Formats: sequence, structure tokens, C-alpha cells
Amino acid sequence: MAATGLELDPRLERYAELAVRVGANLAEGQTLFVTCELDHAPLAQALARAGYAAGARYVDVLYRDPHVRHALIELGPDEALEHSPAWMIDRWRHMDEEQGASIATTGSSEPELMADLDGTRVGRARMKELMEQAMQRMANRRINWSGVAYPNEGWANTVFGEPDVERLWEAVAFCTRLDEPDPVAAWNAHVDRLERRAEQLNALGVDQLRYRGPGTDLTVGMLDGARWMAARFETTWGSKYVPNMPTEEVFTTPDRRRTEGTVRSTRPLELSCQIVRGLAMRFEGGRIVEITADEDADVVRAQVETENGAFLGEVALVDGTSRVGQTGLTFSDTLYDENATCHIAYGFGLPEVMESTDVEGFNVASVHTDFMIGGPEVEIDAVTHDGRTIPILREDVWQLTD
Amino acid sequence: MEGLPQYADLIVRIGADVQPGQTVFVNAMPEHAPLARELTRSAYEAGAFYVDVRYQDPHIRKAMIQYAAEEVLTETEAWVLERVEAIADGGAVISIAGEAEPDLLADLDQERVGKARPLAAVKRMQQAQARRTVSWTIAAFPSPGWAQQVFGEPDVERLWQSIARTVRLDEDDPVEAWRAHTERLRARCVQLDTLELDALHFHGDGTDLTIGLLPESRWIGGGVRNVAGVFHVPNVPTEEVFTCPDRRRTEGTVRSTRPLALGGTIVRDLEVRFEAGAVVDVSASSGADAVRAQLATDDSANRLGEVSLVDGESRVGQTGITFFNTLFDENAACHIAYGNAIMFSVTGLDDLTSDELQERGVNVSSVHTDFMIGGPKVQVDGLTHDGRTIPILQEDVWQLQD
Repeated sequence: MAATGLELDPRLERYAELAVRVGANLAEGQTLFVTCELDHAPLAQALARAGYAAGARYVDVLYRDPHVRHALIELGPDEALEHSPAWMIDRWRHMDEEQGASIATTGSSEPELMADLDGTRVGRARMKELMEQAMQRMANRRINWSGVAYPNEGWANTVFGEPDVERLWEAVAFCTRLDEPDPVAAWNAHVDRLERRAEQLNALGVDQLRYRGPGTDLTVGMLDGARWMAARFETTWGSKYVPNMPTEEVFTTPDRRRTEGTVRSTRPLELSCQIVRGLAMRFEGGRIVEITADEDADVVRAQVETENGAFLGEVALVDGTSRVGQTGLTFSDTLYDENATCHIAYGFGLPEVMESTDVEGFNVASVHTDFMIGGPEVEIDAVTHDGRTIPILREDVWQLTD
Repeated sequence: MEGLPQYADLIVRIGADVQPGQTVFVNAMPEHAPLARELTRSAYEAGAFYVDVRYQDPHIRKAMIQYAAEEVLTETEAWVLERVEAIADGGAVISIAGEAEPDLLADLDQERVGKARPLAAVKRMQQAQARRTVSWTIAAFPSPGWAQQVFGEPDVERLWQSIARTVRLDEDDPVEAWRAHTERLRARCVQLDTLELDALHFHGDGTDLTIGLLPESRWIGGGVRNVAGVFHVPNVPTEEVFTCPDRRRTEGTVRSTRPLALGGTIVRDLEVRFEAGAVVDVSASSGADAVRAQLATDDSANRLGEVSLVDGESRVGQTGITFFNTLFDENAACHIAYGNAIMFSVTGLDDLTSDELQERGVNVSSVHTDFMIGGPKVQVDGLTHDGRTIPILQEDVWQLQD
């Protein structure tokens, strides 16, 4: 059907189609829930078209406006900072109960918007009940969900120091394999390769990971029953989807009780519209007991102080073949930067890697924040259950072979 | 666009009259973001507990109208209804008008365009307005696309200046000026109520229309006091006094005196003939199908729900501009609306069912569309029960005295 009066950008349409068909893997008759920043409207519109083209019953788009949020944090009453509107909770309930598909977008158009506000209020301002419900509902594995980024001026400015959206688009197209003649086939081959790595790690029987590098000397204990996974998730009803585009990681949930030592972040962390640089943490008995940063450590502390926010929920390995890493860029966007290098996340664990989450050592929290701890200077070894020490990454090169 | 914060204050304090601790809902299109953000700030400053901004993107709606199944067009998503419930339950709601792309839907099947409305949400909102449980207001925000439509060039500043004048932002104390203005409109309502008219007769310029009134009808102008005792102004600007006609007693022919913007379609030279209250013939030089589709929405869409009087002192009328937007154009001239009645202008209806309302002559429909029938060439007379004819408007001059 012709869309007259509307000049469509073919690259954007292709990108949206990739997100709908490979990312969410939308099935005929599903409702597609799109959640994105207001400035991402052109992508949301393309996703709506791609969604209907793939057979969506209905495409529901929810725009978030960071300026509205800024007004809440600046002027709203204290007790409203954590308020979750009932209808937004209801939206999640329907997504879960009616087996909806979901696509969320990243690429902050104004990453430093909240910089003039009180950091404690910025950290506190989150829809607590909604986040908790969202994480629980995602754990039910009835939603095929995916995340993609939208190149925009503000984000380009963060990455390059100038609003060069075209240059950012080229990087995004490279990282998401949109530059391939057949992006869908390229994605299938890529996902297969990552899944083989997860199998290698599962076959090893890893008990601990050891990280050594500048400012880092960390041991992360693995959780019994947690598998290594990559790229592709599956709903209870058998839909295979790719939650992150791009994705370059293999990951699992660690034992929340068994992280010890010190770790220094190797990339800036964008959190609540603030950029936290030079983040470092110390763990004792699995718990984060000390947090420092060059600035804005408060926004991290506010998250870590929430219930079970101080324990790890994820550990992920990424090597130098990562397309994100190869760009050499710091995207200041977790979806990208977490695929540039190894990382860990404090907060909610990954239910997808578990047969059951009802085990000691699996962390349940209302936050989940990834931060980067890898790079060529960081060596990673696995210590196996039978006491062997096996190199996993050296100078960003994957050491295991089939 | 100077004066935006003052405009937002006016909408919050006079329009919705936001109360401390209230939840405020803002309905906007993405292009309205600058005003939505100012409204959020003003509302928090007025003591709002929480401000919930929902952006509805006409491009997303367009994709739905193009691609979704027929039955989806009239559905309300459950979470959208949940939000309307929260609005209806003592909330304040500010809707921003002003199409940024007035011709966006022009290339679509107009029958589907006319049909595409979330009926359950519309009904629930109409009920809340009738029961006066909500403080609601509508105000506009200019855009280049709308300015193009009005002036033939995207002179958004000129449109903003026109809007600012119609809403009395040029006064030293706009809030005070509004209080005096709503008082003047209220005085006209008292004049009309005192006459206890049986019918109105519009004649001249191709129109010869008699509209029967109900004995229980009261004239309303300026604002509405809701059940919580809050006096809010549903339309900013407003220049009209209006009431609910008898759905059974409209006879004759009426010619529209201004273009009508209807869901992205412009209807020109609309002419409608009534027999025993019902529309029996519709013609127009463009857009007649969109009107016909709306009139077919339900059994009562083709009967009148409102009649409204506006004189030449109207600031909207004085601009001499056709805004192609009901909020303004209905305040430039006398108008009528087909579809749902202005329930709150009829006393003693609170516990009646839809059928009982219709038996009393009060129209119940999911549609409510105003179109302009007044101007200097159209005279308006009041017909009393004892057979007198009382001039109300001649050459756009109000004829009644206190």
C-alpha cells in the first residue's frame, strides 16, 4: 500500500523490519507494544508499519518524554517520585497475559538533561512498582521482546561531540548488520556462533570467573543450575526472539552470595540521564559495600540501596570480534557498550538462564544495571568445579576452541 | 513563541483549575511537546501530585487505519480505558488541540478514518463529563503545518499571536480578564434561561432551521462547576453559550458557514437537511463521505446534541481567521453539533439510562461533531411557548438585555 504524502527512509524501514522480524519475531495476530522516547518517533512510526506488515493485530506506542520526567523530579512532591500509574501497570499485565510482543528503543537524545537536578531525587525517581512488575512479567517468558537504538542528534553529540547523525547511523547499521546484503541471514549465522560459545562454557563446568586488570581483582561465583546463554531467548510458547540488537555477549546469572574483590568500570555508565565516569566498587560476600566515581556516584548508590540492588544479577563475556567493539566508539548506551566488552550487572538476575528462579543465590530486585568491566588489559580465567584454571579472554581474544 | 509559560498557567489555573494533590492528565501529539512540558511544570507548581502525559502520534494512528482489521478500528485497549477511568475518577485532564499535519489522513479510505475511534474510551469520558466528576479543558498549540493550513504559509509565530489574542494573553492579568469574561457569558445564560424558549430559529444565507429545545435545558457558558465544586473552563478560548436541543424536533435546512476539520479531512460547503430531528440529506463540495460515515456510527449520531450561540464580540470572530479547528471556529460563530448531547446542560438526568435519556429527547451517541452555521447574514430568533418571536442575534449583534 502506497504511503503517499510521506517520504519514507528505506534504511529506517529496513531497520524496523529487522527489529520486528528478527528481534521481537512478531507472530501473526500479536499486539506489538512499542515503548520509546518521544524523539524516537520516526522509528516508532516505522515499527508500527513493520508491525502491521508482519501481521500485528494492533501496535501500541507509548512515548516517554524526559522533560516531563525532569519536571517531576524538579517540582513534584517527594511521594510521587516512585509513583507508577495504574494504567501503565495494566499495560504490562496485558503484554504478559495476552502474549504480546514488545520493542523498546534506546539512544538518549538528552543524556545529561537531569544534570542540574538533585542526584538523590534523580536516583529515587523510578516507577518502582512498574519496574518490579515488568521484571516479574518478563520472567514469565510470555513476552517476546527486543531492544533497538535510534540514532538521533543528541545521542550523536554524546558519541562524537557533534550532532553527526549520519555517522552514528553508519555505526548502528554496521553493529546491527544492516550493512549486510541479507541482514536476516547474517543475524542467524551470528547468533549460532554466539550460542556455540555458550555451549563451550556450559561444557567446561565453570565454578568461578576471575578478573584481573587495572583497578580490578574480582572473583564471581557461578550459580548451580544457571546456564550460559547467548543472543536468542524463547518464550514458553516457543517463539525464539533476540532481545538485544546488537548482541555480542554470552551471559549467565551468578550466585548472588559469591562475589568478592574490587572492580573498576572501563566505560562511562549512562544512568537516569546522567553519565557516571570512573565507577569503582568493592564486594564482600556478594554484596556491594563501597561505591566511588569521579562524579554522580549518588545515582548509582540510590539504585544499589534499593532492595537487593547491592547483589549481582548478571555476568557477561564479550571478545574483540564484537562489531560494537570494532567501531572503537563509546556509545554511552548500555545496549551498545555492553556488547563492546565484558560486563556485570547489579540487581535482578536473568530468569531465562534458570530452570527455576526459586533457588538460593538467584537475585530478585527492582533494578538491573549493567556496567562495563572488560577490555584488552583485563584477563579473565575460569576456575572449573574440578579445580582447573582455564583462560577465557586474553587481550580481548576468546581462548576456547570447540 | 513568547508567553508559553503564562499560557500554560492560564490553562492549568483557569482551564482545568488544578487542585493540590490532584493527578493531572495531559493528552498531546508529539508536536505539542513544548506546551505539554510547560503544562507539566505549571501543574506541579499548582500542587499536582502527578502529571501523566500521553502522546498520541497521528502517524501511528494512520498505520492502524491503513492496516489493522476492521474490528480493531473501534476497539479501546484495556490499559487506555484504565487511564480514562483514572481521569474520570476526580482527575484533571488537559487535551491539546492543533493538527500538525492536517492532511495526513487525506489519502486513506475515509470510511475507515471516520470509523476509527476507541468507542469505549469515548463513552466513558462522555459519561464522566456528563456526571461532572472530572475537571477538563482543551487548549491549542500552533505548529508550522497548522499555520500553513490557516495562512497558506508556515508562519507559526503569526498563528501563535492569533491564539494568544483569542485566549486573552495580551491582557495585563489574563487570569483576571478570564474571570470577567466567563462572568459575562454567564449573564447571557441567565437572560436565555429567563426566556424559557421553546425553540430557536436560524434563517438567512441558505439556512432555514428550527431547533426545538427541552423544558429541562439550561444554557451554559464560560465554565462548569463539577461535583467537587471546582469551576473549570472546558474550552480555552470560549465565546459561546450553549444548550441541549430536543433530539426529535429539528426541522429544515442548514448551510455550514465555515469549513469543518474532521479527523484529518476538511469538509467544505456542508449542507444538511433535517426531518423530525434526524439528518435525511448531506451534501458538501468536499469531505461529505467523512460526515456520512460519522453519521452512521450509531443510531443517534444523525441527531443534534448541541446548539450554541456566539456574537460578533468574540475575539475568535474578530481575528477574521478560519482556524480549521473546532476549538476556535466554534467560538467564531453560532454552531450546532450532531451526536451526543451536552448532558450537563440538562437538569435531572443523573440516574437515567441511555434509553430513558433518548425518550426524554436527550441524544446519546459516541459522536459529537460541531459545525458552524452562524454569521452576519444568519439571524437567530427565540420562539417562546406562547408564540412570541424574540430576536437574539442580528448581524452578529447580541439583542438581549439584562
